[in-house]
Amino acid sequence: MATDANSPRFAGWLRAAVIGRNPRRTLVRIVVLVIAVFLARAYVVLPIKVSGPSMLPTYAQDGINFVNRLSYVRSGPRRGDVVAIRLAGESIMYMKRVIALPGETVAFRNGNVIIDGEVLDEPYLKKPCDWDRDPVKLEPGQYFVVGDNRSMRQMDHTFGKTDRKHIVGRILLCKNLFASPASPP
Amino acid sequence: MQKSLRLAGLAALIGLLIWGWWVFFPGPERLIRKRLQELATVASFSNEGAVAKAYNAKKVTTYFTEDISITAEIPGRGTQTLQGIDTLQQVAMGARQNWSGMTVEFLDIHVTLGADKTTATANLTGKLTLAGERDFSVQEFNFTLKKVGGTWLIERVEMVKTLSQRTRSDGVLRCWSVGYRLLALGYSTHHSTTPSLHQPTPS
Repeated sequence: MATDANSPRFAGWLRAAVIGRNPRRTLVRIVVLVIAVFLARAYVVLPIKVSGPSMLPTYAQDGINFVNRLSYVRSGPRRGDVVAIRLAGESIMYMKRVIALPGETVAFRNGNVIIDGEVLDEPYLKKPCDWDRDPVKLEPGQYFVVGDNRSMRQMDHTFGKTDRKHIVGRILLCKNLFASPASPP
Repeated sequence: MQKSLRLAGLAALIGLLIWGWWVFFPGPERLIRKRLQELATVASFSNEGAVAKAYNAKKVTTYFTEDISITAEIPGRGTQTLQGIDTLQQVAMGARQNWSGMTVEFLDIHVTLGADKTTATANLTGKLTLAGERDFSVQEFNFTLKKVGGTWLIERVEMVKTLSQRTRSDGVLRCWSVGYRLLALGYSTHHSTTPSLHQPTPS
């Protein structure tokens, strides 16, 4: 069976598939969709491209994830949350885990995180860590964030205190989408 | 129908005029953004010859005042300040001699104009990618700019501690990013030749 591209039936089908039976309604749908995507990106969910090894093995070195901007509208970040932290803007952000909350004192001893003198249980850490750091007291509105890859040298790992205003939201998915198979984990 | 066409034409004309004004008479904020983007382009390089290296390293300095000061906290060295345009040129040259290529980008530039309209600050994220390296380095900066002879020049660069943590003995721990490597490069280059590099008390 052959299809003639010039036939009126085919042209009508193509037109309906591309712009719909009612072009005006299709145009309205497109405008609504664009506005909805724009608003969702600006106020609800921000897509991000992940790069770098600091959150291994929980998150692969590449792939796509999302930041939920509404996570902390009613309450602040909680311990264990993986969050996005902006720099000057949102073009590039750090992806880190919150390990200490405002007012707490955090230290590292033989690779263990010590919060107010108690060892923090961190089941997400899979590799040994030997970090040692003196205690630091967090001010109101400050959080202590660090990556899950503590097998890195401290010098190579960006972590520390951050202000609440720099935390854009919580990472939505527990695994990156479209991570390359070669990228661990 | 004709009335609506006329209205649409008028709206298009007004839009065109606004666009023209915006393009041909840019405000100081836009001029500063453009200037910083130009600096990022000039600071980037890839496989340059010896003459081009020297020329472009010199060209980088045209975006800064003579007394430019760049402050950062380098792991193990505390707060460091590179002072003067000659030091900056050495850093730019050193980077070109040490690496085959480097791409600099300035993102999320937020410009705040001073009350006198001749000074401004720019908060931005710097992204540096070295040729052959998969990962890139990022750093938040505050640039202080001054209008000299109608041109915006950078007179101070400060690295912002987006994430910061004090170490036991080394002042402030920072990730060993390209920015710090650059500054350390300037430190090691300059330290052996002239004493104009300041080393404030480690915090």
